[in-house]
Amino acid sequence: MIFHRQAPGVRRFLGDLLRDDAAADEGTQETFVRAHQRLGTLEQPGALTGWLLGIARMVFFEQLRQKRRDGAQKASHDEDDDRPIQIDRAPDPEAMLLTGESNQMLDTALQTLSEDRRTCLLMKLDHDLPYGDIATAMGWPLQKVKNEIHRARLQLREQLLPYLEGRT
Amino acid sequence: MTGHPELDELELLAAGQGTDEIQKHALECAECAREVAWLKAEKTLFARRARPDVSALWSGIEARIAAKPLAPVLSLARRPRWQRPVAAVAGFAAAAAVALFFFHPKTIAPRPQPSIAQLQPTPAPAVQGQPKPRSHLDPKTLAALDTAEADYRHAAGILEAEYETLRPKLDPALAKRWDETLTRARTQLGESRAVAADDARARMRVLDGYAEYLRSLRDVIQDSEEATP
Repeated sequence: MIFHRQAPGVRRFLGDLLRDDAAADEGTQETFVRAHQRLGTLEQPGALTGWLLGIARMVFFEQLRQKRRDGAQKASHDEDDDRPIQIDRAPDPEAMLLTGESNQMLDTALQTLSEDRRTCLLMKLDHDLPYGDIATAMGWPLQKVKNEIHRARLQLREQLLPYLEGRT
Repeated sequence: MTGHPELDELELLAAGQGTDEIQKHALECAECAREVAWLKAEKTLFARRARPDVSALWSGIEARIAAKPLAPVLSLARRPRWQRPVAAVAGFAAAAAVALFFFHPKTIAPRPQPSIAQLQPTPAPAVQGQPKPRSHLDPKTLAALDTAEADYRHAAGILEAEYETLRPKLDPALAKRWDETLTRARTQLGESRAVAADDARARMRVLDGYAEYLRSLRDVIQDSEEATP
């Protein structure tokens, strides 16, 4: 069943974007209701995950707009978007395995990314979508998707490095 | 190999699917080795993330799917005044359609139904000399009919609650007409459900009746919204 296979991923995706469990639950329900209504528009059954995450992204933006109207949340900033980031160290696999806080560390690092950048990075790393499916879900050209994911990765690594201190 | 491999190729290598050539390059190139180490670290970190429990969400989705076709109507922009009588007529016509849809067993006296959400399947009354047609469908199908009916009841409950919030603002005469129409529809729906028992075809007709009832409720609510300041 589609729900049982896809819902945990959609819920986690929305949880990563919204940072609010109740809102993520609500968003997951809304995503599947909309998916049910629009199932006929799914052109490639193989692209189901990307299609669902695309709907979830729209739901996220609606919730975000609502939250901002309510003044409950500040907008994320893209201040350092184009700041060059040079990561010249590799993560230490042992350090990564030893830390018991990897999920929390990852969550914190993800929050430093802008919404769009976080969204496409999650689609790639957490949901393993091909770049083409991400481009469709985001409504972006393929090259932009690759650039954004590349920048997102560098930002993420910069955040993670202190935790995963390693030397090449 | 001249130059560095593409990122896609390094991603494949990090996933254990790289070619020998890429693997050889990564062993000799510190920059690519670092990139592969990071790609592996990312995979490891994301793979460890907890799988959220979503089991509690399905019932809400089912209810919303049942109610969703009605939802946009609840938030429709107000129509011009000249359209209101048309909406009212359409609403009453839809409500009347519920009555026409069901056959009305004369052997059962009408009884008031407080709320559609409270309607529960009841055993069919025994009619002497007329064995009820039995369903040829399996228990799973009947269970699915039960589920669908429960969804309809839930959706109706939501809409009835919506109407209740609007009702005090309505013109008393209009509210009375709506109340009578809806009560009549509920009564007939309840009776038809009782007669249908577990006969699958009759149950299907009951579901169609529920759909008509929901449409009626939608029209009532829409008109009520327009009639309130």
